[in-house]
Amino acid sequence: MARQRSLLLLVLILAIAAIITLVNLPIRLGLDLQGGSQLTLQAQPTEAVPEITPDKLEAVRNVVERRINALGVAESVVQTVGSDQLLVQLPGVSDPAQAERVLGGTAQLDFREQKSGTEEQLAIEFQVQQELLIQQAQLEAAGEDADAAAIAANQDALDRSQAAISDLFIKTDLTGEKLSNAFAAPGATGSAWEVGLEFNNQGAEEFADLTRNVAGTGRRLGIFLDNELLSGPVVDVRYAETGITGGRASISGNFTAETANDLALQLRSGALPVPVEILENRTVGATLGRDSIQRSIIAGLAGLVLVLVFMVLYYRLPGAVADVALVVYALLTMALFALLEVTLTLPGIAGFILSIGMAVDANVLIFERTREELRTGKTLYRSVESGFYRAFSSILDSNVTTLIACGALFWLGTGLVKGFALTLAIGVAVSMFTALTCSRTLLLTVLSFSQLRKPEYFCPNLPSSNPQAKATS
Amino acid sequence: MKLNIIKQRTLWWAISVAAIAIGFIATLISWQQFGAPLRPSLDFVGGTRLQLELVCTRTESCDGPIDASEVREILAAEGLAGSSIQVVGDQQNALSIRTTTLNVDQRESLLETLEAELGEIDPTLIQIDTVGPTLGRQIFVSGLTALGASFLGIMIYLSLRFQTDYAAFALLAVLHDVLITLGFFAIMGLLFGVEADSLFIVALLTIVGFSVNDTVVIYDRVRETIRNNPGDHIDDIVDAAVNQTLTRSINTTFTTLLSLVAIFLFGGETLKYFALALIVGFIAGSYSSIFIASTLLALWRERTGRAYAEVTPADAEPADSTP
Repeated sequence: MARQRSLLLLVLILAIAAIITLVNLPIRLGLDLQGGSQLTLQAQPTEAVPEITPDKLEAVRNVVERRINALGVAESVVQTVGSDQLLVQLPGVSDPAQAERVLGGTAQLDFREQKSGTEEQLAIEFQVQQELLIQQAQLEAAGEDADAAAIAANQDALDRSQAAISDLFIKTDLTGEKLSNAFAAPGATGSAWEVGLEFNNQGAEEFADLTRNVAGTGRRLGIFLDNELLSGPVVDVRYAETGITGGRASISGNFTAETANDLALQLRSGALPVPVEILENRTVGATLGRDSIQRSIIAGLAGLVLVLVFMVLYYRLPGAVADVALVVYALLTMALFALLEVTLTLPGIAGFILSIGMAVDANVLIFERTREELRTGKTLYRSVESGFYRAFSSILDSNVTTLIACGALFWLGTGLVKGFALTLAIGVAVSMFTALTCSRTLLLTVLSFSQLRKPEYFCPNLPSSNPQAKATS
Repeated sequence: MKLNIIKQRTLWWAISVAAIAIGFIATLISWQQFGAPLRPSLDFVGGTRLQLELVCTRTESCDGPIDASEVREILAAEGLAGSSIQVVGDQQNALSIRTTTLNVDQRESLLETLEAELGEIDPTLIQIDTVGPTLGRQIFVSGLTALGASFLGIMIYLSLRFQTDYAAFALLAVLHDVLITLGFFAIMGLLFGVEADSLFIVALLTIVGFSVNDTVVIYDRVRETIRNNPGDHIDDIVDAAVNQTLTRSINTTFTTLLSLVAIFLFGGETLKYFALALIVGFIAGSYSSIFIASTLLALWRERTGRAYAEVTPADAEPADSTP
């Protein structure tokens, strides 16, 4: 009896601790419930970087993190996943377009010098490119009748023309890394925007050298972003002596306020060592998330109440005991979610609701066994004891198999799946504990009250010609 | 209630074979239509799905329901002809559009046009899902690997706890449940356009865990009955074991179904078909544990000459004591 009393006390303390935990420590909600945007990025190997090493991925992560921080999203998270992927979580963002645009570009800015003797060739290539651009615009404007094949062919031609143009320039040491600042500024002419650049000391020197080299020669200075020519200004002959000093420059191109801002942000946060591709975008609006939480609470409560009612109706007194154990189970499991900082997603909630239905499994096994023992004429106390004892191996086996399936889900599954596997696994583990300690202790405690010691409370329609069943130990 | 499990086994088997065959035909038809056994969601094949609701729904000031053909024209003008469009919501003022994978600029341009034509879209009620085709394959492959791994893990565990033949039939029963659920969703896909997404694979894995669980309880009882009555024929042992655990099998499945029905009714769109897959799988799992796993084990033991438990000759009872 002493052991039961202390176990009962333990269960009570755990239940109270669970309530205190739940009141003070909110359960972390996934982006599908609180609203927000989750992007999966994949680092793409290039000719220069044929393999994504952990170092490279970490470097990509740093740049991505800087860019996200520059967007000013509170509590954003950037994690590496696997060997070449990044997971970016942006809570509260319902329009991830800016983030996608800013993350998508590598922003490898560099300044190049035109090769001598290529002036005519460049002029021709520019013309070719202009024609192709006009053609592309016309093709795309066709709308419904757009000829996808023609657009693709034209795009290929554009890419070739781009490559031909960049062949006419020589790379220099001056790259975006030597910038100290980048900002968007309205251009001198009308509505076009520019990106203003400020170099650090070394960059300023190199920029002066570069501009001195090309000034007055008719050759151009090439400003390349991700290997594409953004603008190719001519440097005035008056800089032939000194070059452009002071370490300031600006890039004009077809910028709007928005695109100029995005580029400035990318340049400030540094270039990505390899390009990234956005593989996945899951965005849920905040209100939609709140609706989901509300629905889940209703579904969870409905499931719980249905199971509670069924257990009492079918198993009577032990059913009521199982119900108490089930409520304790629900409290403990939720408290564990909060303590282990499990991020609760919609599938995770489904896993939890499902586990409510499964949690009574152990109790059902035990009570059925107890009824059988009663029918064979054993005493109430002995029946309950052997019900627990003999059901144990079934309970263990069935829970271990569920845990194996959870394990497979957890190790091999993706984010969404993991949440479900984790909540279900925690549920199964806790349900074994509550069934084997909580229900058992409660039931044995109940048996210590003589007015409750009636076999018909445990098993209806028990043959009354079974006098032994009334005796208790 | 007492079931004649062994006597009517051809009936039980026929029911299962018929159900699996119907499902198989449905998967074949799906294969012809979608190139996959089920109607695949964008989780597996890639694509973009936009779910939007107009601002006017919450204030009930909409001019009227959204016209699907108008949306179709907008999409066609954006070069997205052939996308699927559904007008949803109580007031028919919400949209679900599924297209090929859109990049950010394509998506923004589409949203802008839709907003200009239909009215303001509520940003807090939007849902965007974009999955690149390569990631879709990755999700699919990792899902199948997880399924295979759980089969293997359960096989090993059951072989250790029971015997290999128990484990093999338990897995066969699980395979039965997975096939029935697949078939059911193939039919749902063909008739009602229900898609299989990554949650469907989660459902299959959960079904695997739950259904084995059911079978294990019956096998546990078979083992116990053999130990207590070593002289009985395996048919009688299985009959007794199944009947003794019948209430338990039905009740646990029932309580689990109660919570699943709650999710199906109140859990919202995302979880609805997830719950349905589990409901179908769990019912199939309960059926296969009671009627298939048990009868197959009995048949196997009989055919391999092990209808009677291997006991020492001293305490073996004469064979004619069984009917």
